[in-house]
Amino acid sequence: MDLEHHLRYMRMATKLAKYALDHDETPVACIFVHTPTDQVVAYGMNDTNRSLTGIAHAEFMGIAQIQAKFGPLNTEIFRNITLYVTVEPCIMCASALKQLGIQKVVFGCGNERFGGNGSILRIHQDSSTAPENSHISVPGLLRKEAIMLLRYFYVRENERSPKPRAKANRKLDLETFPPMDWSIYLSKDGFTSLFGESLLEYYDKKLDLSEKLDWDLIDKNQDLFFQDLQNKCEQFSLQAAKKPKSQPVS
Amino acid sequence: MVKKKQNPYHINYKEGIVENCLLQIRNTGCCDDPRVKNVWTVDIRARDSQQFIEFIRLNIQSNDPVSFQHIKRIKKGEESGVLTVIVCSKLLIEEQDDFLLLMKDAPFEYYNANDHSAVPTAAPSTKELSLKWSALYWPLVWRGNPNDQIMNDYVFDMAFIRNTLTTLSKVSLDQAEKNASDPPVVSAFVSPNGRRVIYSTDSRCSTSPLDHSIMQGIRSVAASEHERQAKNCDQAEETYLCLNFDVYTTHEPCSMCSMALIHSRIKRCIFLQPMRNTGALESQSGDKYCMHNNHALNSKYEVFRWLGSEYPVPEVNSDICC
Repeated sequence: MDLEHHLRYMRMATKLAKYALDHDETPVACIFVHTPTDQVVAYGMNDTNRSLTGIAHAEFMGIAQIQAKFGPLNTEIFRNITLYVTVEPCIMCASALKQLGIQKVVFGCGNERFGGNGSILRIHQDSSTAPENSHISVPGLLRKEAIMLLRYFYVRENERSPKPRAKANRKLDLETFPPMDWSIYLSKDGFTSLFGESLLEYYDKKLDLSEKLDWDLIDKNQDLFFQDLQNKCEQFSLQAAKKPKSQPVS
Repeated sequence: MVKKKQNPYHINYKEGIVENCLLQIRNTGCCDDPRVKNVWTVDIRARDSQQFIEFIRLNIQSNDPVSFQHIKRIKKGEESGVLTVIVCSKLLIEEQDDFLLLMKDAPFEYYNANDHSAVPTAAPSTKELSLKWSALYWPLVWRGNPNDQIMNDYVFDMAFIRNTLTTLSKVSLDQAEKNASDPPVVSAFVSPNGRRVIYSTDSRCSTSPLDHSIMQGIRSVAASEHERQAKNCDQAEETYLCLNFDVYTTHEPCSMCSMALIHSRIKRCIFLQPMRNTGALESQSGDKYCMHNNHALNSKYEVFRWLGSEYPVPEVNSDICC
């Protein structure tokens, strides 16, 4: 696995989550990459506030973009799609991704309340949800950045709340992080096959792959990045439309 | 809360069946798991126990995610005249600093504040188990099987349920006849006051593979609320997500849909046909998720399966996620 390659897209997902935070949504975001051409094809941010549903999660927004481009009934395309998402997909999203037959899911921090790729349930490898499909799940990339964005969000929500909570979330902790327990998501063998033997120390010591948090990613304004991202996704659809024969849409 | 004897419904508590036709669906696999959690305890003088109880009532009870109804908050301490008392769960207060801050306001003296005691957060289902856990962890109160009380508190409008299931069955049979591709899975979303019923059908082969009837129903409820807001009318009909809705569906929902119902904050789900391979609610279905009654997920809703054959539904391939 090319770690730097995955980190490049995780940085984009993280920037998008910061963009979401700056625009009054939950700082959870995702990027869908077409693996064979190595290009961004879609993105997603939570849309639960505007949509008035509890199911408009970032993943569903990105899936809708892909369906708009390749046809809503086309599931073939998902076999070539890798999802990069700042927070582990919830059980509903993990199930949706599996039913579509997605190739791979890479995420930042775990979802301790609703996680469907290992934290609560292991939908991505189960036998009751479209068992003909299963996807590779890569946890823990830019985990600290994802956690910090959520902390920014909760502190702000608490400040705005008419009845602020007196406990844990009242102060912003910029220093400490819970240990990265890889074993929730991966066996030792699974970790080795993804990251290589040289990084096993991180598994054993429950460490993040990067000790430093990239503050630029989560503190800078990302409005320009967002424009650029939209352009990238639009360009992809133009390219796909130019060569319909070489890329049949069934 | 009515007394068992005065309950208007016929309830078979042992089997979990109401009126001989609604089977309560719950996680049978974890009933005897105490789910032990640590709590903050302090020692107080026996004569301060009234103040302690008042302090808990005012400052703690409504905020603590752990219910101590089946637990004796107060037990005898090691010395005479001293009581060891549970203040709150560690889920409510994690750090010692925060705990001591809370105790600053306590109108009584206390000693030996610590988080070493672990108590069962689940209530035991039998008296034997209650005695066992009392000896093992912390003294418990035995008030009967807690599920009996849950069963006893349910409220049903049997005529309404039968009506809705009649329509559900009819729409489902119609779908099977006129639409060869989409599976004939149908759901009904009933608003909390029961005045609005929104029916939704599965359209995975015509609109999107993820457009199961429950996902479609959730979006229809939102569309209806958008419409109401646009017209700015009828404040009494305002809805938030699907909060306190009852959802009726022909086939047991899959992992995606059963979780979507948690996100949507529904109150109850009643279904007709179990899906043994793909279902995510029954203890015997699929990977035994019992999504609505899974203790790792702190949200929940009531689930019942209709027993009996009054409301037939077309068969759906057993590998299909509904």
